[in-house]
Amino acid sequence: MSRQQRIDIGLVLWPSFLAAALASLLFFAAVDPQLLRDAGPRVFEGLDREEGYALGFFFFWSMGIVASATSVFLLRTARGDRPGHRDDEAGP
Amino acid sequence: MNEGAAAPSSFYEAAVKIYPREVQGRFASKRNVAVIVLLGLFYGMAWLRWHGRQALLFDLPARKFYVFGLTLWPQDFWYMALLMIIAALSLFFFTALAGRVFCGFACPQTVWTEMFLWLERLTEGTRHRRMRLDEAPWGVEKVLRKAAKQVLWVTLAVYTGFTFVGYFTPIRSIAAQILDASLGPWAIFWIFLYSLATYGNAGFLREQVCKYMCPYARFQSVMFDEDTLIIAYDPARGEPRGARRRGTDPGTLGLGDCIDCTLCVQVCPTGIDIRKGLQYECIACAACVDACDDVMDKMQSPRGLVRYTTENSMMGRPTHKARPRLFVYGAILALAAGAIVYSLAIRTPLLLDVIRDRNALYREVHGDRIENAYTLKVINEDEHAHRYRLEVRGLEGLTLVEPSSAVEVASGTVGSVPVRLQAPSEEAHGVHAITLHIVALDEPRIERTERTRFIGPS
Repeated sequence: MSRQQRIDIGLVLWPSFLAAALASLLFFAAVDPQLLRDAGPRVFEGLDREEGYALGFFFFWSMGIVASATSVFLLRTARGDRPGHRDDEAGP
Repeated sequence: MNEGAAAPSSFYEAAVKIYPREVQGRFASKRNVAVIVLLGLFYGMAWLRWHGRQALLFDLPARKFYVFGLTLWPQDFWYMALLMIIAALSLFFFTALAGRVFCGFACPQTVWTEMFLWLERLTEGTRHRRMRLDEAPWGVEKVLRKAAKQVLWVTLAVYTGFTFVGYFTPIRSIAAQILDASLGPWAIFWIFLYSLATYGNAGFLREQVCKYMCPYARFQSVMFDEDTLIIAYDPARGEPRGARRRGTDPGTLGLGDCIDCTLCVQVCPTGIDIRKGLQYECIACAACVDACDDVMDKMQSPRGLVRYTTENSMMGRPTHKARPRLFVYGAILALAAGAIVYSLAIRTPLLLDVIRDRNALYREVHGDRIENAYTLKVINEDEHAHRYRLEVRGLEGLTLVEPSSAVEVASGTVGSVPVRLQAPSEEAHGVHAITLHIVALDEPRIERTERTRFIGPS
């Protein structure tokens, strides 16, 4: 894996982690995971609060990863003078 | 943009391992004090007790936060929001005032990296010895020193993870569960995760967190102006740099005060050369100031070739301490802090929720009276139990049938109180806005009023 690929992975994971932490904080301040479990589909049956928080956090994180990864993908595959673009390999 | 960017793989420079040189001086001592105080608070506060329970506990499973005498419920979340706003504003204020003092002295990344560096010096020695050790082939000494470092690092990381989780689950109960090996899988998972984060950030990534991961490092420049304290090298005084014998007058050699010893570069935890000017990698730790002052003392030159200064001062212009930016940040900060102090001072540790009976709008009783039923959720946020008296107002002849006496709600619990209200039929036509008032018998200041509706036949 090239250094740029490793940095891209960091660029996807890290901001989405921060966003997920913030989203969990705001969401679970307003919503009790136990109420969600009781109102939600049966797959959540038997889940306690801590598991609800964890599940919620990883859900938010995964959504953030989708968003960040799409951004990075679009940046890296665009035609143009973006840094790190494949066309740049030809050099100036 | 970025015409210099060649192949994508070379767009980012390769990470070079940085061996920060140990430094002593005014600012290093201040940082040591900050590290001891901040880490002492972090590791110590978890064990502090207050009225028979942990003083600072964010009990997520119970959805209650304990902050000394205060018990915060999810309904009090806006205190948290306000606290976070205050934290952000403080960062703005102090950044405008004194640059990145937070980065260099108080940021957890700096504080824990400093701890990990101490342990590294303890096991692997000074910068020079560490570099030699890394270059040396693997031998008994290298294995022993590296193993000792890893043992110390992992121990500190795991203890940090344990303490962190101890703010969310009572730390004494986790400690007891660890001792009799009954710790649950989730607790183990979170301790492991935070240990990994500590080790990764402070042991492995270090300055790369500041250079590549920290958003603050990138946007702090918008809070800067020409009067913000920065760390800068004085090129007018230092250049042209060059080596010379101790005691020679640099003027006769045509040299400036910088002897080009590169100590300022060697001590830098982010590996930059401060003599190239202000760079966003600079966390304003002032290690280079300490190092250079020491050299200037030895060369019998005045201190301050690298110093805390402002852009205006470097340009020979006066520095303005009082400026609109500071007043604006300061005023908003004072307002937010005042709001939180005021609202905590007048806070009533009692919440009331009124839920109307969903089954029937109203009921006729004794032929001439209309009855409505409700459920009250009485949330006692206080530290001890209270007995509450209920009163109703807003409709002629409205009486409280149930509860017939005061209701008791234990500390930190939600009391569910069935309530029946009756009014004479002739008064009760249509929908009436009424108020329910609840007051603690022993402390009349603890009271709440909620509005609801009383419904009769139309």
